[in-house]
Amino acid sequence: MSTISFADVGEDLRRIMISGQLDAPGANAIASQLLEFASGPKKAVVVDLSGVRFLASVGIGALIASAKAVKGRGGKMALVVDRGSTVMMSLEATGVDQLIPVFGRISEAEKAALA
Amino acid sequence: MPEQAKLAGVPGTYELPGIADGADARLASEWLDTACRQNNVPSTQADRLVLCLTEVLANVIRHGGVRTQPITLQLEIDTGQNLCEASVTVSDGGRAFDPLSAPKRPRPASLDEAPTSGMGLEIIRGCSDLLRYRHDGERNHLTFGMRWKQ
Repeated sequence: MSTISFADVGEDLRRIMISGQLDAPGANAIASQLLEFASGPKKAVVVDLSGVRFLASVGIGALIASAKAVKGRGGKMALVVDRGSTVMMSLEATGVDQLIPVFGRISEAEKAALA
Repeated sequence: MPEQAKLAGVPGTYELPGIADGADARLASEWLDTACRQNNVPSTQADRLVLCLTEVLANVIRHGGVRTQPITLQLEIDTGQNLCEASVTVSDGGRAFDPLSAPKRPRPASLDEAPTSGMGLEIIRGCSDLLRYRHDGERNHLTFGMRWKQ
């Protein structure tokens, strides 16, 4: 299935970790929590998808909704995805990699979200 | 192995009820994942096949209309000397729909314009190495597949 958790890092950054497979049942299982975690007090949000095996369109929709929520309160959201992975392929196929910044390393994503 | 699995040799076929739901689709994905492992399909290609199957079944379930006949899946694997191919054909008796001729959605220019649904077809197109469709008058037959070198 899929799991989600978060850790606050410093005053401005929230790191959200997701693992499992984000097909329809997997994405539906974490979608409301993802939006809730992303809508928290931290302006910078990094979503770590390096533990996700694949990302279906339902999961991409949940990421977009969360990124919009973060942007709506003046923050930035960035993703951590393994280059060459099936997850990266989903993001590229839908053009979402051009809308939400994607990084291979969590340190790069955090830097971008805090900028 | 799920109860509905009806393996007919290697790699095999699988059958979902005509009125399938997300849980049925998950079982079908698990069957495909297992069949790919058993037949040494590389994990990257297996993951892409499962991803495409997820999107295809979601479309059939959501938009296929009334279906009285089962949805069938056929996995075929061709291990040539240099190039290998694994493909899945999804056959259903729902509304005729050719995903190859459906217009491509314009890419959203900004996050504000980005939709939160309806991206499944882009994933199927973007993640498949081959995509074929035919309608035999009664059923849709959509084939998607992956290729890799030995």
